Amino acid sequence: MRRYIARRLLLLVPVLLGVSIVVFMVLHLSPGDPAEIMLGSQATQEDLERLRQELGLTEPLHIQYVRWISHVARGDLGRSLWMRRPVLDEVLHRYKATLVLTASALCLSTLGGIVLGVLSAVRRDSLLDRLSAVTSLFGASMPVFWLGIVLMVVFSLWLRWLPASGMWAPYGGGDLGDLAAHLVLPAVTLAAASLTIIARLTRSTMLDILSQDYIRTARAKGLVEGRVVFRHGLKNALIPIITVVGVQAGYLLGGAVLTETVFAWPGVGLLMVQGILARDFPLVQGCVLVIALTFVLINLAVDLLYAYLDPRIQYE
Amino acid sequence: MTARRALASIVTLALALSLLAAPIQAQPAGTLLVGLVAEPVNLDPAQVTDLNSNRVGRRIVEGLVTFPDESTQVVPGLAESWTISKDGLQYTFKLRSGVKFHDGTPLNAAAVKFSIERQINTEHPAYKLGKYPFANYFFGNVKAVEALSTERVAFLLKEPRASFLAVLTSGAASIVSPTAVMKWGPDYPSHPVGTGPFRFTSWDRGQRVILEKNSAYWKYPVKIERVIYRPIVEDQARLTELLTGQLDLIVGVPADFVGQLEKDPKVTVLKQTGAHVWYLGMNNQKKPFDDKRVRQALNYAVNKDAIVRDVLKGTGSLSKGPVLPGTWGADAALKAYPYDPQRAKKLLAEAGYPNGFTTTLWVPESGSGMQAPVAMSTVMQSNLKAVGVNVTLQTMEWGAYLTKLRSKEQDLFALSWMAGTEDPDMVMYPLLHSSQWTPVGPNRALYKNARFDELLQQARLTTDQAKRAQLYREAQRILVEDAPWVFVDHEIQIAAFAKRVQGFKLHPSFDLRVETISLK
Repeated sequence: MRRYIARRLLLLVPVLLGVSIVVFMVLHLSPGDPAEIMLGSQATQEDLERLRQELGLTEPLHIQYVRWISHVARGDLGRSLWMRRPVLDEVLHRYKATLVLTASALCLSTLGGIVLGVLSAVRRDSLLDRLSAVTSLFGASMPVFWLGIVLMVVFSLWLRWLPASGMWAPYGGGDLGDLAAHLVLPAVTLAAASLTIIARLTRSTMLDILSQDYIRTARAKGLVEGRVVFRHGLKNALIPIITVVGVQAGYLLGGAVLTETVFAWPGVGLLMVQGILARDFPLVQGCVLVIALTFVLINLAVDLLYAYLDPRIQYE
Repeated sequence: MTARRALASIVTLALALSLLAAPIQAQPAGTLLVGLVAEPVNLDPAQVTDLNSNRVGRRIVEGLVTFPDESTQVVPGLAESWTISKDGLQYTFKLRSGVKFHDGTPLNAAAVKFSIERQINTEHPAYKLGKYPFANYFFGNVKAVEALSTERVAFLLKEPRASFLAVLTSGAASIVSPTAVMKWGPDYPSHPVGTGPFRFTSWDRGQRVILEKNSAYWKYPVKIERVIYRPIVEDQARLTELLTGQLDLIVGVPADFVGQLEKDPKVTVLKQTGAHVWYLGMNNQKKPFDDKRVRQALNYAVNKDAIVRDVLKGTGSLSKGPVLPGTWGADAALKAYPYDPQRAKKLLAEAGYPNGFTTTLWVPESGSGMQAPVAMSTVMQSNLKAVGVNVTLQTMEWGAYLTKLRSKEQDLFALSWMAGTEDPDMVMYPLLHSSQWTPVGPNRALYKNARFDELLQQARLTTDQAKRAQLYREAQRILVEDAPWVFVDHEIQIAAFAKRVQGFKLHPSFDLRVETISLK
């Protein structure tokens, strides 16, 4: 087991190296460079050339890449071209906000999805099951930004229950209640699509399992229904669910870009969008590396969970 | 668990959450909350040119000269007076005495010299501490800055340029505390120090920038205690925050929301035409646009009134040329091309295109000052089709678009310009003088007219404003005749603010002067 983890962690290096190459190339080969965007429509040839020189963009790509990656290896992600601030500080600072948002959304969608899925499976064809089927279809097909704006208009503008944007009150605030109030709308928006996917999957897996022989046996030997469903049913249904939750975690990290933009949530997604528009190479590269690292670690965690849930699975 | 019990627990959970959620609270007295459309990137105005950074950064620092609160005429700022040598090569400024930077450093000639030379003198100790993208654009003409005494400082120019005072109103010409720049080094943009009405207090990344009032401000006592800037990208969110009292003032109100806000008794809406021009450029060196009649025909063919009315919904005013109407350099007698498709067809026929032609229009999806580029271009496309000109729209991302425009391959292209000042030299020279043809400069229409060039050059060498105005008026008449672009509109900026905000004015330079505000 320990050897397995060590090997997986070692695999991180080539994966991140690959990500870094792809990101670097995509950014540098797409048209428009930071100097161009910084100077905008007022650019003169002379200013462009001088600025490119100063930003180190005139050297061949492979040299730029090697210089950057050797700094990264030493833990230095460079300075943002626009903000002139160290990228690592900036990304880590924003990353906390993204983690709070995605983790809340993941908890919400996993718990909500499993509860809804189990209930729909147990009470098959009930009102709840049908309602959940309709909402799932709705939830999965609504674009994040649309749902976000609708929730904002209803709960902030009309009902005035919740703040419309930001992570903290503009002045004062700063306690847990303040954070929770600001978190509700973005977390629900972000969780909606994942929740419905997890609910549907849980339902179908549970339906399949509940018709198995050993469930019949469990019932036959007189177990309480709750124990049959949760202990014998749900635990066995968890393997595919956990797989999907792992995938959804990645989806949520990506979906956070839109949610953060709609709700002015100060996370890494919003930062990355601004970075891309400005072709702030070091900044975008830094953001992508951190997100890629998270994604790989989540996958590792999911793989380890399998063994915990199903002792038949072993790692060599 | 039954379905009913499940529903009940969901409702309970929702209620618990909404109880936990603190109700939307009122703001402390004296605090102004401003919603920005994007976060400032860097608070050193010499290092960035984006609107949001400047709108915040320029509350902290000031220049030698400035604009009054309602126009872009140059008036004294940190310099109380100045003289210009006869040959126009030396500008000598007398600084206000007793002014101090927020960190206590005195404002003197050495600080002025430091602020400018850090950008242009490669040997300067602060040169390497930042990147100054517009140093050459603004100060390429500056040979040296000399401190004549503590309170007198001279700018020596390489060649005369009558718009030099207008250049000194730019953010890049702001005077910064040399002590702070050297103390913070490359991190100075996150710790700016100037002489302005507000001092920098804190910056929570992605959330807010807080400025506190400078109690020792030299110009007048600032009436609010602090300003908090909140970056909110999404229009609906910014609007909601204004309507729920979480913001006092927003700018960049989308055209679609203006009507709704104007009806709201809690909100005041303010409009102001900015020093900006939006134009449809034509490649004057490429067939068929090398023929003046074709260019004029396009000017007649485009229904600018409809664009301003239906697409911009009152957030633009009709343009007759590049110079902002109502300013000293504008020609009031200038006539805009009326919408006259028949006349357009006739001119096209005269130019040898009785059945029109096919061409391409490059449009950026968005961009600084671009308003609604795709919607506006779509209207123009259908206008042109009506006179037989078949236009293919090619939309591009802003960065890619700027690169492509330097290829000189454009037929038609949509672009805008924010001069930030009313001096015609800052608009006409870069955009239309033949020495500024792309890729060297921003004349992307590749327009050239010898007489026009000469007038612009003469106006640069004359310091007498009345004489300059005459030269620019003649130049504008040539432009109308030559029609190098289709002149479309000047942006009307829109601000919306809560009733408690008093004394706010929008500035034609697009600056956001919250220092004039008091709160009821």
